[in-house]
Amino acid sequence: MKLEVGYIPIRDIRFGPESKVDNNVLYVNKRELSALILADEGIASVALDLARPGESVRITPVKDVIEPRVKVSGTGGIFPGWCAKVRTVGEGRTHVLKGAAVVTTGKVVGFQEGIIDMSGEGAQYTPFSKLNSLVLVIQPKEGTESHAYEKSLRLAGLKTAEYLGKLAEHLEPEEVHTYETLSVTEGIKKYPELPRVGYVLMLQSQGLLHDTYVYGVDAKQTLPTLIGPTELMDGAIVSGNCVSACDKNTTYHHLNNPVVEDLFSEHGKALNFTGLIITNENVYLADKERSSDRTAELCAYLGLDGVIISQEGFGNPDADLIMNCRKIEAKGIRTVIITDEYAGQDGASQSLADADAAADAVVTGGNANMVIHLPAMDRVIGSIDRVDHIAGGWSGSLKEDGTITAELQVITGATNELGFNTLSAR
Amino acid sequence: MVKEIERAGIPVVHLCTVVPISLTVGANRIVPTVAIPHPLGNPGTTPEEERELRRKLLDQALDALSTPIEDQRVFE
Repeated sequence: MKLEVGYIPIRDIRFGPESKVDNNVLYVNKRELSALILADEGIASVALDLARPGESVRITPVKDVIEPRVKVSGTGGIFPGWCAKVRTVGEGRTHVLKGAAVVTTGKVVGFQEGIIDMSGEGAQYTPFSKLNSLVLVIQPKEGTESHAYEKSLRLAGLKTAEYLGKLAEHLEPEEVHTYETLSVTEGIKKYPELPRVGYVLMLQSQGLLHDTYVYGVDAKQTLPTLIGPTELMDGAIVSGNCVSACDKNTTYHHLNNPVVEDLFSEHGKALNFTGLIITNENVYLADKERSSDRTAELCAYLGLDGVIISQEGFGNPDADLIMNCRKIEAKGIRTVIITDEYAGQDGASQSLADADAAADAVVTGGNANMVIHLPAMDRVIGSIDRVDHIAGGWSGSLKEDGTITAELQVITGATNELGFNTLSAR
Repeated sequence: MVKEIERAGIPVVHLCTVVPISLTVGANRIVPTVAIPHPLGNPGTTPEEERELRRKLLDQALDALSTPIEDQRVFE
């Protein structure tokens, strides 16, 4: 399976009479795109807004961030199961509007959406402050239940990313990266001396709007399975998550998974990137046992020497993380886990809800309880009134002057457990 | 909380869904429950069935509380 990914850099975003990319500027026709979004009968209104790096802008409550992409050749289309029919993706060629993003906002769950600041201290904690963003502020029809609102918002974001992505179809990319996955036997023959390394990607699937979708299927209804790493780059995995902002994987993260990126760059040099296994994080203990059992079996079946495990979210998924780690290590395979910490505001508490001696190699995305101070912004996109209720905020977090004191948790992507952000510890 | 109450000399039964965490934390008497969002109920069943389920879990917990133990034990 081989995929070429072509990057078209986007340096600015503006509204204009025609949606197009011209001289690295992304122009968006408001009316055309609004009509596309309003075709969903569950949506009452949509307001489109722009946020650029360095601007005095606060976006909240953020639900998802999505990168505009298009399939130029190869089977299937971007976001299979949603925008395109269910066909295997990950082969051929894909174009990306690099530096652009679609951000969806809405009060779906209220306390589990996040904040993106485009400047000031908050901007340093989120990678999304560096993107030229089109923000969708979407209101549902009256009486719409949360789960239906979440779905409408999710689809609006994906459709918008697809709409913008298509503008890149016939453009000449500035940079093209090629990613190739060999079959297991080809890999062994080609790199007999290199350690065989796999990646276990844990997907949030607790239900009650804490969900992730794979080719349109709710991940909590799946068993762990192998998936081509390049399939992720074409949107095979989509976030439907309303969960703590700092350590949920947005759709943008799935499209740009840095563990996949790094394993590809070391493939054939320091290691043989043998396989990617996706597994879930369910709320029944039997599911946790079954999924971690299957994951360990797949790792052993692939004859792996080492495995990187990344978590999504915190709390009870810590149990899934440790079960995966313990069971894979019990097969004689070394593991490294990537997580983040809830160690209290002073950093002195136990970081994870579960632990095991087998988890002796840990990479952290930072302490989500750390207290941060955010300056007031000139402009708020979305609505500011949920700040006190977001996980990591408290009554009084939002001051009258527009400044915010809260835990790092409130910032979208701040302690990401794929290592997408810059925070860590040594 | 389980450990602090036991430290004060009062035995505790931990009703919980994620048994491995309870074991790691050091609870001594553990009774597994239904699911994380609804440990002592099940929205998929009728109110009568839920009542029965709760009664069963409570009986199990009381049995666990009155059972002498030497080590950590999960009362299935």
